[in-house]
Amino acid sequence: MESEKPLIENLAETLQLERIEVNLFRGVTSDNSPGRIFGGQVIGQSLLAAYETVEDRICHSLHCYFIRPGDPTVPIVFEVDRSRDGGSFTTRRVIAIQHGQQIFNLAASFMAPQEGFDHQAEMPASTPWNELPDEAEMQAAALAQMKDMPEEAKRWMSRPRPIEMRSADARSYFQGGGPKEPESQSWMRCRDPLGTDQHMHQVILAYASDMNLLSTAMRPHGVHWQTPGFQSASLDHAMWFHKPVNFNDWHLYAQDSPSASGGRGFIRGSIYAEDGTLVASVAQEGLIRRRPAKG
Amino acid sequence: MDTQTLVETLQLERLEVNLFRGVTPDEESRERIYGGQVIAQSLLAAYETVEARVCHSLHCYFIRPGDPNIPIVFDVDRSRDGGSFTTRRVVAIQHGQQIFNLAASFQVAEDGFDHQSEMPETPSWEGLEDDMVRRKRVMAKAPLEMRAWLERPQPIEMRTVGGHTEASRPAAREPIQQMWFRAKDAIGADPHMHQVIMAYASDMSLLGTSLRPHALDFNRGGLQTASLDHAMWFHRPTDFNQWHLYHQESPSASGGRGFNLGYIYRASDGVLVASCAQEGLMRMRKPKS
Repeated sequence: MESEKPLIENLAETLQLERIEVNLFRGVTSDNSPGRIFGGQVIGQSLLAAYETVEDRICHSLHCYFIRPGDPTVPIVFEVDRSRDGGSFTTRRVIAIQHGQQIFNLAASFMAPQEGFDHQAEMPASTPWNELPDEAEMQAAALAQMKDMPEEAKRWMSRPRPIEMRSADARSYFQGGGPKEPESQSWMRCRDPLGTDQHMHQVILAYASDMNLLSTAMRPHGVHWQTPGFQSASLDHAMWFHKPVNFNDWHLYAQDSPSASGGRGFIRGSIYAEDGTLVASVAQEGLIRRRPAKG
Repeated sequence: MDTQTLVETLQLERLEVNLFRGVTPDEESRERIYGGQVIAQSLLAAYETVEARVCHSLHCYFIRPGDPNIPIVFDVDRSRDGGSFTTRRVVAIQHGQQIFNLAASFQVAEDGFDHQSEMPETPSWEGLEDDMVRRKRVMAKAPLEMRAWLERPQPIEMRTVGGHTEASRPAAREPIQQMWFRAKDAIGADPHMHQVIMAYASDMSLLGTSLRPHALDFNRGGLQTASLDHAMWFHRPTDFNQWHLYHQESPSASGGRGFNLGYIYRASDGVLVASCAQEGLMRMRKPKS
């Protein structure tokens, strides 16, 4: 923790795309990605690519599949299909391509803001964000608990993060302690000012929504992403934006896992603004399994 | 349409390696195609290109209303055939336009970590009136033509917990509803077809959940409803000739849309076999000026 790394990566800038053709875009991966591309990055960039082809409408849902691991050393090409420009709804499909192969797809729907029937689930009781350990304390605790972790993993864990995240049970997370309930809560927000454009708030929220989600499905089984021989990867990701979001403010991310079976864990998440407004819902299935023993 | 007719209807004609064609049965040909039919046919089209793997998830968008009077063409993209997973994308086309898309993933069956949420306590299907029996009673005085349509044979047997309201205007209710359902007649031994018919059935009632807090049901004049998307995760093997509890709840409605989640539990042992998520349009039509 000696180095004062100058600046946290500006996520909104990293995700920006170059327009190659009307419906073709290209994006890159930031330098600090290990091995494979973080799924949230591809979700964020694909949503941005779709937005580049949509006028005056706001995304209300997206559905994605992670098809192949992303290669952080080469650019990603995003191909947008303008499925429909309708009276009320705009539908888009995006395919992310590397090395001539599909690595990811996203389908999304956009709508002009309108009034309507309103109800929402109540925000669950939770510890306020300002009573939880901050990132520096969590990282120090994590590194202390996991001395045997490879150097590369240590560097990865202690890197500066564009998303500030405070987990409700951060202090117990790395203490082992065996199986826990398949539920978790964390507070999160984006550090860099995101401006007034609703698109970028949604994009960064989508980016953040893929962080730590799968670990909720692992909790009942006493494993986490650093457990030797354990393999995890996001398989799909769905998100519904119910209300406008200001992701420079703190949000509660409440998650529960209704099921795990067949090497897969299923998690749903609800994202609430601090005043209790439900701004988004999330669903994801991920691979969670012990690697087959080498025979 | 009975279950057997449904199973036959869903069978697709193979036009080319990755191209299929399906139809809507005459007796179901009203203004637009029922969404569950297109989900089911698209899943079957994907299955036609997958060997020895089982669907564990699907994500769909309803893009345009389907025309029941002409066939639907299903174009399958073989996105990936991987070591453990197979990924497919299907676009359903009519009149040269996309009406629907589905993305789905298939996996070699494997063992692994296991947990599930518990099936909610609820009155058993055994003591409940069949929805069709109730419908016939309520509709006894309706015009003959309307009765013939509403009382036509159904492929899915349903028993709603707590019953449907028989008032013309329901009161505001909790955004939760439960029903028991199963395929009415034998689906057969093909495990894929059980998933397909369950996917078909999962679109029937889900959107109604988000109407409940607003004292609405599908019969309200001026109310416009339509499924916008549909996602489904098949957690465990499914025998849809057995009774299942469909527990549905709506965490949100806003901006003309209602959001719903569904969990499907096997009645006999409480096993969670599938989860669903759907957003639907729910708004009052603008008065004509």
